[in-house]
Amino acid sequence: MNFNFKNFVKSIFTYTPEKEYDFNLSEDPNVDNQNTNSESLEKSEDNTKIFQSVSVNLDYMKTKYNTLINSDVILREFTLNAKGKQYNAFIVYIDGMVNSQLLDDFILEPLMMRNKNNLHDGSQNKVVCEAVTNNITVRKVKKFDLSEYIMNCLVPQNSIKQVSDFEKIASGINSGNCALFVDTLSIAYDIEVKGFQQRNVEKPSNEIVIKGPHESFVENIRTNTSLLRRYSNTEQLIIENIEIGSITKTKCALCYVQNITNNDLIAEVKYRLNNISVDSLLSSGQLEQLIIDSNKLNVPQILSTERPDKAVTYLLAGRVIVLVNGSPYALIMPAILIDYLGSPDDKNLKPSFSNFLKGIRVLAAFITLLLPGFYVAITSFHQELLPTELLFSILASRENVPFPIIFEILLMEISFELIREAGLRVPSPIGPTIGIVGALVLGQAAVSAGIVSPILIIIVAITAIGSFAIPDFSFGFHLRISRFLFILLGYIAGFLGIALGLFIYASYLTEIKSFGVPYTLGLSPLDNVKGNNYYLPPVWKREYRASFLNTKKPKKQSKISMLWKNKTN
Amino acid sequence: MIKSKINTVEAIMVVLIISLTPSILSLPKNLIDTTRSSILINIIYVTIIAVAIAILIYKLLKNFSSSDIIDVSEYLGGKYFKSIIGTIFIIYFLVSSSWFLRNFCECLKIVYYPMTSVVFIIFAFIITTCLSSKLGFSTAAKVNIIVLPLLIFSVLFIFFANIRNFSFENIFPILGEGVFNTFVTGLGNLGAFTGIVILYFLPPFLKRPEDMKKITITTTIIAGIYLLFCVSIILFMFRFLLNVDEVMPLYYTTRYIEFGDFFQRLESFFLFIWILVIASFITINIRLSMEIMKKITNIQNVNSLVYSFGLIIFAISIFPKDYAVSKFLESTIYSYWTFGVSFALGIGILILANFKKRRSNHLPKQKEVLETND
Amino acid sequence: MTSFLKKFFIVIAIIIFLIAFSASYKSSNIGNLALVVAMGIDVSDTNKLNITFQFTNASSVSETGSSEKTEPTLFSIDAPSINSAINLMNTNIGKEVNLSHCKLIVFSEALASRGIQEEIFTLSNNPDIRPSTNIVVSKCTAKTYMKNSKPTLENLITKYYEVFVNSSEFTGYNSNATIGDFFYSMTCDACEPYAILGGISTQDSSSLSNSSSPKDSILESNFKPASGQNISENTGLAVFKGVTLVGELNEIENLCFMIVDNKVDGFLISIPNPNSRESISFIDIYMTPVLSTKIDAKIVNGSPFITINCNFSGRVYSMDENLNYSDSNALSQLSNSCSSYLESILSDYLYKTSKDFNSDINKLGKYIRKNFSTEGEYKDYNWSDKYKETFFDVNVDTSIKSSFLLTRT
Repeated sequence: MNFNFKNFVKSIFTYTPEKEYDFNLSEDPNVDNQNTNSESLEKSEDNTKIFQSVSVNLDYMKTKYNTLINSDVILREFTLNAKGKQYNAFIVYIDGMVNSQLLDDFILEPLMMRNKNNLHDGSQNKVVCEAVTNNITVRKVKKFDLSEYIMNCLVPQNSIKQVSDFEKIASGINSGNCALFVDTLSIAYDIEVKGFQQRNVEKPSNEIVIKGPHESFVENIRTNTSLLRRYSNTEQLIIENIEIGSITKTKCALCYVQNITNNDLIAEVKYRLNNISVDSLLSSGQLEQLIIDSNKLNVPQILSTERPDKAVTYLLAGRVIVLVNGSPYALIMPAILIDYLGSPDDKNLKPSFSNFLKGIRVLAAFITLLLPGFYVAITSFHQELLPTELLFSILASRENVPFPIIFEILLMEISFELIREAGLRVPSPIGPTIGIVGALVLGQAAVSAGIVSPILIIIVAITAIGSFAIPDFSFGFHLRISRFLFILLGYIAGFLGIALGLFIYASYLTEIKSFGVPYTLGLSPLDNVKGNNYYLPPVWKREYRASFLNTKKPKKQSKISMLWKNKTN
Repeated sequence: MIKSKINTVEAIMVVLIISLTPSILSLPKNLIDTTRSSILINIIYVTIIAVAIAILIYKLLKNFSSSDIIDVSEYLGGKYFKSIIGTIFIIYFLVSSSWFLRNFCECLKIVYYPMTSVVFIIFAFIITTCLSSKLGFSTAAKVNIIVLPLLIFSVLFIFFANIRNFSFENIFPILGEGVFNTFVTGLGNLGAFTGIVILYFLPPFLKRPEDMKKITITTTIIAGIYLLFCVSIILFMFRFLLNVDEVMPLYYTTRYIEFGDFFQRLESFFLFIWILVIASFITINIRLSMEIMKKITNIQNVNSLVYSFGLIIFAISIFPKDYAVSKFLESTIYSYWTFGVSFALGIGILILANFKKRRSNHLPKQKEVLETND
Repeated sequence: MTSFLKKFFIVIAIIIFLIAFSASYKSSNIGNLALVVAMGIDVSDTNKLNITFQFTNASSVSETGSSEKTEPTLFSIDAPSINSAINLMNTNIGKEVNLSHCKLIVFSEALASRGIQEEIFTLSNNPDIRPSTNIVVSKCTAKTYMKNSKPTLENLITKYYEVFVNSSEFTGYNSNATIGDFFYSMTCDACEPYAILGGISTQDSSSLSNSSSPKDSILESNFKPASGQNISENTGLAVFKGVTLVGELNEIENLCFMIVDNKVDGFLISIPNPNSRESISFIDIYMTPVLSTKIDAKIVNGSPFITINCNFSGRVYSMDENLNYSDSNALSQLSNSCSSYLESILSDYLYKTSKDFNSDINKLGKYIRKNFSTEGEYKDYNWSDKYKETFFDVNVDTSIKSSFLLTRT
């Protein structure tokens, strides 16, 4: 390690050009209604074109898929009948990923068996139109095209594509499709016959609500997109396909509502997704870390949810969703601080109930972050703040404790974190119980042994409960980690340390931008931007979409949304 | 060239934090010392004058759309004049924040950290403000939006929580030391409106420069009302404070707040809020100095200067030998300094620049008239 | 490498701050503090101060939740000043003496007569002392007073100290004199300080029985006939002129002080029965103020003239056979009797403070200020000397509403 103090000092005091990536969501609403292309973005790579000879294709596929070694890649050769002629053909598929019934009934049978279409050996040419003038008949004739014929007449399969290079064919086979190669054709067919086992749509395991729907995303991206389509029920919902990962080529879906979402936002998300250079992408959590603006403060800047109703709410508000194949979590961007303190159930309840709960959650966030720090600060530097009786209680309870307060509190906080982590790994019947019971028993035992004081157990327990009240897991985690910093600051310098720490924290928090939107928008008082207050107004007042998204349609509800009330008068 | 602009509300808050922060320290006491029990009349009188001055500044600046006083001084006297004026304002910002920082840290030391040297407390503030100054002016303004309402809330809370300790008769004799003292000598209290100096630098930062008039009037009026509350707390509660000097008058009044037997000695919470306020105040001062430096020297990324400015503030803060010197600097020298720099110098430059502009507008017209006559 | 150096510097900064603030931490950490709950200051034989500190043991709440009474402990030290006493105490008991939960400061009568300016200024300069700490002047020595202060109905003595002044609001027989108010009045040019008068009860209480109303309490501390576990008592007021004790007020005078200052929410008086044919000769009436006391001050021929207007409503407590309180004539008779009684005791009290003590403990000087237009004129008038020339006009308007549950027997 080369130690150069001079360089370090230079780096602090000298001019350095800015190298921060800065994206700003444009302030003027974009009313441009261009149709965005909804076809899949095809990456231009060097692809090998499919050969005309089926035997060459067969050898190529055998080599590519190592069929001598790979046990589940099946190559089925057969003879294809078309218009009385026979052609050599083969199909390639991966066993376990295809639906065998579909394969047999709708691909092999129509192609191999003799049927009316196949037997017809009439004129190879089809007459398109005929005109007779002066006893001269002029006929327009269409030449027989085998590829069109197979596609249009022979294979009664709903999803079939013609593909002319091996990369695309391989990609299709890998995702569960079946590839059909026919002699004399320099194209192959990518046929949809997926039939692998997957989880059914179940109840969400981590975001439980009282009044909302109980469906959650699954691993398969098509099922997830189908859930989105069902909830949104609009043809303006665009779902674009993007592949990420040079090895895994994981399919990601970029979803947005075309006539609402800001075009700059869509373009920025697409730009970031298309410029990721990784080998593999296996989960949405990984993708989230690859596309966020900055990693300051470890604060989450993208929401992730496993609920389709929450995802569609945000879609219709003008945000962009990214789904990753193989992960049941959808990523929602941009996301600001107040989104992490909102629950999907807020809009289902009356505003007074949900505002009360929102207030409780803000209190929970403060408690999680600051309560242990304040306790340490007050008992170390500001004991005059406590009422005399409470102070004597604390002193009495600490009479026999051998440790200083900071050590006590760190001991108990870390023990609780250990218990929480261990509770995740314990086999399921006793898993949840060990978390709660273990904590209580440990706490009680520690008090009886005289290691900690009872008041400290209460403080730590309230902090832990507060952290569970935060709806978003990553945000709660961030608060849990940050509170150690505040404990340390409270121990070093009491209220001075905590205040200065809070000031720096607030500064960094306000500086963070999530896809061009300032992170603390809607929180700063007197900064009321339409449609994105933290506290919900009554349902008839929610006329506007959040204005920071600069959507194409700012208004989502007419001024009088309950027309039935007015019409009866 | 200003990367991110601030909206009207943020601008008002920025001006207010510079105006209102000195009230935590010995400003209310200094105001009362000059005019005694006629302070309330005097504050109203001085607020009206301050509003008039603010409107004057707005009108003078209006002719140079979206330029601040540095650009105006460049127009007036060229590059060197611009550098001189810029340097004066940088020194003003850095020195005033050092003095306030030193006084506040002395108070913190007395109350909470008697065994700790004041150098470390100042150092803690410097580190914090340097780190947050690096993030930009609009970030500082946004954090300020959270901090300033806390300050106003704290003073209002002190006012209403102490209302049972007030004796409203302290306002008598109504003319204090006399009419001359109230209205003529009391003009010195104009030094309380230190936020006016920020108005010179605001126009380039605003998203909507047409709101400048609203900003000037609103900030001055709010500062006046806030000062009214501050001095009335001290006047109504403690007539004796007129005879006794203490470290931070407002802090002294918070010691009297109690609700029953449970909530007593809440002054720690107020100090907590005031620490945030001082940090925000210093951050904005450093950031403004950096922006002025950028204008004078054309540095592209001015963030590398943050630590240098922090060190300068640190050095100036530890310069006074004891509390008496720092208090003298903060109460006496500061108000003359404010008068000189923010009122005399600033308005002088603006008036001269306006004259120059008017003359240069007249001259082409005269040429046209001569030509048409020919 | 830069990030490593950055982390290194962060760690160094944390260590520096830890070391810098650790000294303050050691001095403020609750584990290292000995909390004084009351402080007594006497004059010692060697002309120094004898300071008594009262501590209480923290283990008065046990784990099972039940609490035991604990005896507070007293330590006394001879020292030239309060702070040197604290210093010596620090070495004696090992922990650091902290005054931020001190609820009571007791001065002995001997010391108060000598003047307590330096002590009050020193205590006010101390950031630990709360301005709401009560100040007591005890007729015995402060040490004796504190020795006899034991919690009877409470577990912690601090609770007793916090609560005992609450009785001032519904009896008027003592007051909530705080050191903050004392300091304010001491440094103010227009008012004088006061303190609670404390003492311990003795057997001899029959010596004072010459008042117009033998039932009304004219007793001060040290003479109360109450006996019980807690024999320290706090009734009456110690009146100061400047920094010196000049006089004492008994319970009924204390009540007048509270009425003029608007600090009493209700009080009990006994008045002679206007209708002497009735069986009982004295009637107990519970009075509550309807409006706050209005004070108006004028200057008439150079002398101050102060008008005090009070408005009370009352309900009759005492009951016997053959009484009729539903008759408005009876009630109005009672009201008049009440009013004249209150006027007489208020006048007596006001003239006592003005003529005997020349001490404006009710801060009437602030009402006089209205008559001047500048501070200079007010200073020249010299209120603190002019107070003894003041004329008072007391008007009390009482209306007895009814008795309590029984209106006619």
